[in-house]
Amino acid sequence: MAGARAGPKLPGRLRMLELDGIHTYYGDSHVLRGVSLSVGAGEVVCLLGRNGAGKTTTILTAMGYVKPRTGRIAYRARNITALRPFEIARLGVGYVPQERGIFPSLTVVENLTVFARGTRRGRWTLPRIFALFPVLEARVGHLGFQLSGGEQQMLSIARALMLNPTLLLLDEPSEGLAPMILQQIVTAIKSLRNEGLAILLVEQNLRTALALGDRHHVLNKGEICYTGSSAELGGNDTVLRDYLSV
Amino acid sequence: MEFFLEQILNGLVYGVLLFLTAAGLSLIFGLMNVVSLAHGSFFMMGGYVAYSLYRLTGSFWAALLLAPVPIVAAGVAMEVIFLRPLYRRGHLDQVLLTFGFTFIFLDAVQTIWGRDVLALPPPAVFDGVVALGTGVFSSYRLFLIGFGLAIALLLWLFLDRSQLGARVRAGVDDAAMAGGLGCNISALFTAIFGAGVALAALGGVAAGPIFGIYPGEDAEILIPAFIVIVVGGMGSLRGAFVGSLLIGEADTFGNAYMPQLALFLIYLVMAIVLLVRPQGLFGIKHGLAASPSGSTPAAPLPSRRALAIGLIGVAALVIYPLLVADYQRSLVTELLIFAIVAMSLDLLLGFTGLMSLGHAAFFGLGAYVVIVLGTFFDFNAWFGVALGIGAAALAALVIGYFCVRASGIPFLMLTLAFSQLVYSVALKWRDVTGGSDGIGLAVKPSLFGFTLSNSLTMYFVALFFFVLCFLGLRRLVSSPLGRVFIGIRENEARMLAIGYATRRYKLASFTIGGAVAGLAGGLYAVFNGFISPDAVYWSASGDILIMVMLGGAGTLLGPVFGAAAFLLMKNLVSTYSEHWLAIIGVVFVACVLFFPGGFWGTLRQVRIMTREKVPA
Ligand SMILES: Nc1ncnc2c1ncn2[C@@H]1O[C@H](COP(=O)(O)OP(=O)(O)OP(=O)(O)O)[C@@H](O)[C@H]1O
Ligand SMILES: [Mg+2]
Repeated sequence: MAGARAGPKLPGRLRMLELDGIHTYYGDSHVLRGVSLSVGAGEVVCLLGRNGAGKTTTILTAMGYVKPRTGRIAYRARNITALRPFEIARLGVGYVPQERGIFPSLTVVENLTVFARGTRRGRWTLPRIFALFPVLEARVGHLGFQLSGGEQQMLSIARALMLNPTLLLLDEPSEGLAPMILQQIVTAIKSLRNEGLAILLVEQNLRTALALGDRHHVLNKGEICYTGSSAELGGNDTVLRDYLSV
Repeated sequence: MEFFLEQILNGLVYGVLLFLTAAGLSLIFGLMNVVSLAHGSFFMMGGYVAYSLYRLTGSFWAALLLAPVPIVAAGVAMEVIFLRPLYRRGHLDQVLLTFGFTFIFLDAVQTIWGRDVLALPPPAVFDGVVALGTGVFSSYRLFLIGFGLAIALLLWLFLDRSQLGARVRAGVDDAAMAGGLGCNISALFTAIFGAGVALAALGGVAAGPIFGIYPGEDAEILIPAFIVIVVGGMGSLRGAFVGSLLIGEADTFGNAYMPQLALFLIYLVMAIVLLVRPQGLFGIKHGLAASPSGSTPAAPLPSRRALAIGLIGVAALVIYPLLVADYQRSLVTELLIFAIVAMSLDLLLGFTGLMSLGHAAFFGLGAYVVIVLGTFFDFNAWFGVALGIGAAALAALVIGYFCVRASGIPFLMLTLAFSQLVYSVALKWRDVTGGSDGIGLAVKPSLFGFTLSNSLTMYFVALFFFVLCFLGLRRLVSSPLGRVFIGIRENEARMLAIGYATRRYKLASFTIGGAVAGLAGGLYAVFNGFISPDAVYWSASGDILIMVMLGGAGTLLGPVFGAAAFLLMKNLVSTYSEHWLAIIGVVFVACVLFFPGGFWGTLRQVRIMTREKVPA
């Protein structure tokens, strides 16, 4: 991975996601202060930072839920700043929210299929999903609200995959999970990476981030204060101490 | 035995009609958190359009199939053009907007079809009776039961089995998430809205041959449908179904076996359900809505200036009546009385965040107590006013006890339903209330020997109470208790978390508001000497609500100006035009679209804009 600091310069099609000078507000409070980052094809980019740093807001802005006051968002070189979430999803962005967003009154299968897209030509089908997360197969008939936290997390990722996306936005998939479940999810994300899926991953767990990410951005109070590869970040004690309190 | 069976079937007939209305309402609410008061109007218009189609084609079936088409077009147009821009705002704006449309639709119906009850004959096939044991039963009613149950089954199959149905359920669960997975929620919602309107219109057509078609049908179906939703649970089709049949049967059996108490029976059912399961039989327990009020309260004026303006205002109000004729003077008297009601509703709405659409009930109660006691027992009017305040406070305490278990839209539905109960009592307890004719005092009451027919005395009495209420309420909202109310408006969950029993505080606010409205009602009775059920009809509650919203909720003075503007407009318009209803409807709509936050809010907005330099 050359040029980790600036991010790789790739042809437009291969730049899956680009945020350029994003300023996002909630009412009067200025939450993102000029965030710029990019995710290349097949790349896993991590977003780290303390609670309230603005990680979720970055994801929400990329997904079109929250509109930036200034700045530009592009997906595969196409300007998507003004698009609504459903339009962005339809372009091929899979979204896994921090709170998982499982539909409680739908069954596991319904959760997976209700908004599935391109399942005929695409890679992801129910059998492949169940191969990736065998637990879900055992739970097909259960309703969303009957699942455990770990199962909900898997279902949320699986549901996003059923859109056959080319870019995945994952907001803290490891949050609050038991070590064994976490291991399963890390393995799954690794296999997604190996298949060439581009991922923007919000991660508070440093070990997980270092294991999964190609590049890492550290957010502090809405600004990216550090960018580096896994090796660089792992060795930078100042950043780890000041911004991640590791 | 036959009688019993017949009642069961009649209950099903009513239940099925309720279901056709409630199903759409419930889904619309579940999907977008939107309440449409115009839903009853679509029911009513379905009947009217079917009537014309029947006259045109001679076929009931053509009428049944085609009538929903223009109604759906109207409903979808309303949703897309007017309602959609409001989703980001609070519920109150949606309520006011759709309420405005009920007036517009009602006026349109009365203009086109008149006010008489129209009859829609049943189709020839079902224009008879079938044997039922030793008796007979209308075959059209049987058909209607089958028709309604078939639609319920189809709806259930659609929701439970189809891909689109799963999308609707997903949207009901979490619309934002569905959007993030590629679902065009607003398109889906428009489709559901249209389908809900179609069902209501079908219900209106189907009801025609049994109940006739008449203005007022809108509220008559909407309010029990609200009760159904409260009983069954918001957003649940199963709840709407079970709730409809339950309410349909309860009402029918009540009317058959204890007609005196029938009115109360469905309320009793509702009260029991609310006590046992506040979220309704099949409802999912919802968290507290963050900020229910759609308007940002305006900042109060600085106190020195406020005092000066207040003194000037009172001085003007003292001098004014001496200069004008009786007519103007009594107009201002009425303004002052309604300003009191508007302020009292604002205590609930603007300061506690309680969206009440039943406030006229307490006003009416205060008025009825004065007049009824005066007429039958020759009570001194002032004693009557005091008792009226007590009665209104007591009623508010009892009604509020149930209502505060809900919040947001369910709260609104409950207050509306209970106020309609008061209306029904006023209408049906003829011996005491004079029924729809109303009741008047034979002798004008007097005060310390001045008869109050002398409008100058009455004027000063009203002014005195107005100033008293204004100062009292102002004191209240800045007291510690008032700060709790405001805290609840801002964030009930937080108040609950820091240890306030918010229900009790909401009940306190509701009761105080009710008592003050009762006072205004009593004054109105003394002033007017006459009261009729119109004063407690839901549109009267709507009038009070619009006064508050016009002026700006969350300020005490705003509603005063709102009341004045509204009544002056009403006076002016009703002398020049018969289409008062449509015009008031347009005012509602315009108020929502152009004056969010009312005069006061708009004024403040303008002030901010002119003060602020070009923002960076
Ligand atoms: N809807 C909102 N309205 C106002 N402020 C908000 C809102 N959502 C988040 N914030 C504020 O914006 C800031 C950034 O929040 P954000 O959720 O993006 O942080 P985060 O980095 O994802 O934190 P966490 O690790 O806790 O998930 C925080 O200070 C938060 O309080
Ligand atoms: Mg977050």
